[in-house]
Amino acid sequence: MSRYLLKFLYGLRFKTKIILGVTLLLVFFGLSIGLILSAMSSKALLEEGKKRGIALTSGLAFRLAEPLLTMDFLQMKNLIDNVHSQYDDVIYIFLIDTNKNILSHTFSGGFPTDLLQVNPDNQKVQPLLLATERGRVYDFNARIVLGEKTLGSVRLGLSRSAMDAQIHQQQVISLLTTFGVVSLGIVLALWFARTVTFRLNRLRESAEEIVKGNLNVQAGFSLEKNCWQIMECGREECPAHGDTKRRCWYLAGTLCPGCHGKEYPFKMETCRHCPVFKYNFGDELQDLAEAFDVMAITIKNHIEELTEREKTIAKQQGLLKTIMNVTPDFITLQDRELVYTFASKAFCEYFKLKEEEVVGKTDFDLFSERQAALNSLEDRQILMTGQSLVKEITFNRLDGKKWFHVVKVPVYDQEGDIMGLLLTARDISILKKFQEQLILSQKMEGLGRLAGGVAHEINTPLGIILGYSQLMMDDIKDEDLLENLQTIEKQTKICRKIVSDLLGYSRHSNSVREAVDLNASMQEVIQLVEHAFFLNRIKIIHAPDNAIPPLTGDKERLKQVWLNLLNNAADAIGLDGVIYVQSKYNIHRQRVQVSVADTGNGVDKEHLNKIFDPFFTTKQVGKGTGLGLSVSFGIIKDHGGNISAQSPPPTDYLPDDFSKAEHYGPGTVFIVELPVGQDGESQTENTGSE
Amino acid sequence: MFLVAFFLCSCGEGEEAVKVSLDKRQEISISPKLPAITYAYLPQYSHTESFKRHQRLVEYLAEQTGLPMRQVFPDSFAHHVSMFGEGKIDISFSNPFVYVKLANRYGARAMTRIVEEGGRAEFRGQIIARKDNTEIQSVEDCRGKSWVAVDPTSAGGYLFALGHFVDHGLNLRDFKEVVFSGGRQENVILGVYAGLHDLGSIREGALKVVEDKIDIDQIKVVASSRWYPGWVYASSPRLPQDAVNKIKDAMLKLDYAHNPEHRAILDAAKFVGFVPSDDQDFDPVRDLIKKVGFDIE
Repeated sequence: MSRYLLKFLYGLRFKTKIILGVTLLLVFFGLSIGLILSAMSSKALLEEGKKRGIALTSGLAFRLAEPLLTMDFLQMKNLIDNVHSQYDDVIYIFLIDTNKNILSHTFSGGFPTDLLQVNPDNQKVQPLLLATERGRVYDFNARIVLGEKTLGSVRLGLSRSAMDAQIHQQQVISLLTTFGVVSLGIVLALWFARTVTFRLNRLRESAEEIVKGNLNVQAGFSLEKNCWQIMECGREECPAHGDTKRRCWYLAGTLCPGCHGKEYPFKMETCRHCPVFKYNFGDELQDLAEAFDVMAITIKNHIEELTEREKTIAKQQGLLKTIMNVTPDFITLQDRELVYTFASKAFCEYFKLKEEEVVGKTDFDLFSERQAALNSLEDRQILMTGQSLVKEITFNRLDGKKWFHVVKVPVYDQEGDIMGLLLTARDISILKKFQEQLILSQKMEGLGRLAGGVAHEINTPLGIILGYSQLMMDDIKDEDLLENLQTIEKQTKICRKIVSDLLGYSRHSNSVREAVDLNASMQEVIQLVEHAFFLNRIKIIHAPDNAIPPLTGDKERLKQVWLNLLNNAADAIGLDGVIYVQSKYNIHRQRVQVSVADTGNGVDKEHLNKIFDPFFTTKQVGKGTGLGLSVSFGIIKDHGGNISAQSPPPTDYLPDDFSKAEHYGPGTVFIVELPVGQDGESQTENTGSE
Repeated sequence: MFLVAFFLCSCGEGEEAVKVSLDKRQEISISPKLPAITYAYLPQYSHTESFKRHQRLVEYLAEQTGLPMRQVFPDSFAHHVSMFGEGKIDISFSNPFVYVKLANRYGARAMTRIVEEGGRAEFRGQIIARKDNTEIQSVEDCRGKSWVAVDPTSAGGYLFALGHFVDHGLNLRDFKEVVFSGGRQENVILGVYAGLHDLGSIREGALKVVEDKIDIDQIKVVASSRWYPGWVYASSPRLPQDAVNKIKDAMLKLDYAHNPEHRAILDAAKFVGFVPSDDQDFDPVRDLIKKVGFDIE
């Protein structure tokens, strides 16, 4: 039963509880106090009535002494009649002497002698309650005493019913008063409950709004006077100025002199003495509502901040993802269990996987067991030791051999513990290729130096051999011997040529720097060879650019380059062909380009990379040394330029009206670029060779 | 609290009422008083005071003489005199001035005189003034002044002083005014003390009565009259001589000094004893009345 009652009480609304509680309290205490007061006042009234009876009787006894002495019946009668008529509740009065003679009384038509039988003389005046036909009556008996002598006694009957009526009236009044007070209390309780629950409901509604996501709530009430109106500061730059939702003491950075720029709750100490606080501070509920509002606004601000940050993070994530997707490097992140948590797009594409297929998997799921076991061992070592690993690995794939530069580093969390493993891998196949080429070049350079040294040593004995063979030729007349000597001389000269070329290739010294007219140097060489070529029906077409300024260089060596290039062209043609020599000045790049194109049998693609290597030749033995282009390459490099070859030549390097004859080969073009103005030390461009 | 309330409510109703009928009526009559010797005290005080003072003495006399005796209460001096004349008073206790009147008019016979504290059966009047009233140093200085006296029939409070003034050549016309205080000695003293009147006349001993009410050092006695016989008991000529003698004997028998019962009786009456007296003792009073020109017939 009590459980149900308790449940019922718990289920009541707060307002109902307040009203019910206050009503019960009021009724209980009101009734109790009303009853107590009523009982007390009833008793007091009764006592008062008795005392009044005693006083009346005693007074009468005192005043009756003298008429009793003089037996003045008129005065006796006057005195008792006076009292009897004066008070309605005095039923009767009578006076008896010591001999029980009734000297005077207020009854008309005889005397009720019954009265003489009750309430005998007492030392003190005591009321005796009588039940008479005229209701209940208090009978008072007062002796009339003079000195020690009793002259008689006076008896007075006071209506108890009148007292009862008075008591009853008083009880009704106190009951009504109690009822009125209780009613007023209930009305006040209603008002109080309404006020409190109204504000609580407002708070609850605000809380519900917040739950729904609406943070623009106001649980507190608007102020009658805002802080800037109270302070009359006129400082619109203050954060509290114009903010009707929040109380200034909750705001940071307010500009009142007492605020000292402190924040809530540290500023409260000074705020408590501020007139604004004193004017606007409310009770706990208002406080709660205001704090709630501030909380809502603060949460709103925080959420906005968070949203802003989220956006920034998303942006950064996008950026990071873009980078990760765009970078050609492989990037993966594994946790401590070596499960992939991230894999870059390049990684996925290389292994023909999707990112979601990689994330959450281990190497054992993705690669062959052997490879995975190898990786796992390596990774666990890194996770254990915390030492990063750098290595280069190679893959043999259908499209060739691939080199990768792999870096594995442990990843630490904020506590400094290893939380995973980051792998980056870069395709360095091209770099490797360059490295191989570099190694080869270094090898060739060493070989060149060696050859130069050998040639220098051989040059002197060769001179002696040539000198002595020529001396012997002067002396010998025998035709056979002479022919042998001539062979020696010829072969010696060939050797000297080879040595000379080797020296030219290996030694970059002996160069003279002077202003060179490029077109003129070319023209000189053409004139030198024109006739001999003409015999083999090779025609040289020279198309100089006359705008070319003089450039600084070694004219003789440049002439050697031109000679080498023309000889090579002629050798490639053999009989019947055209050599097209063209020079161009590129004023923007400050470079001069000289191209020598032929209609010869061309160069195979695989040989194009090697034609500038020393001793590389396609000519038959005895025809070439394999050093001509190497020497030319060295000379041009010395001048800060470069030399390249293309086969077959693009049309740019052929005359406009070039008509290709049937017997012409695919042809080759050698392109020389030289810088103008500077001493060959300006930009060098690595055009590379195809 | 509820319990207390109920407890308080429930009590107070437990009074038992005695049943009495007010309707059972009976005509009543007073049993008539038996004839008795009436005794009256010149009403100097209220009846109750008179009763208190003399009731014991009356009872003593009744007991001693075996005669029924009862005190009666005249309303005033004149009433006392007239009641005596009408025979309603058998034994009168009055001052000498009233006695002379009663004797001259109705043949009252002096029986005894009382002896007051100090042991004298005589008394005298005093003329008083405020001590700081420098204008009044002697009886002669009273001329043209305002005089307050007790009562025109007062002996000590008026007559004795008037006789003294007459002896010193002052008549009633020589005063600015003569005012009576309504028979009360105290009022005379208070009137002088308050400065309402320049001089007052009282019987000797009255100052003592008011010493607890005012500072009596502020009052000076300008002069005192000669001694006159004091208060006197007189019998009506209708009372048999035998009864008179019995009463006189009983009075003289009272022994203040040795009998505590007698002492209590006399203390209530405010005197200490009796001396025998006869009419001749009051001749000086008669002379005085003649001297001041009063008509006592």
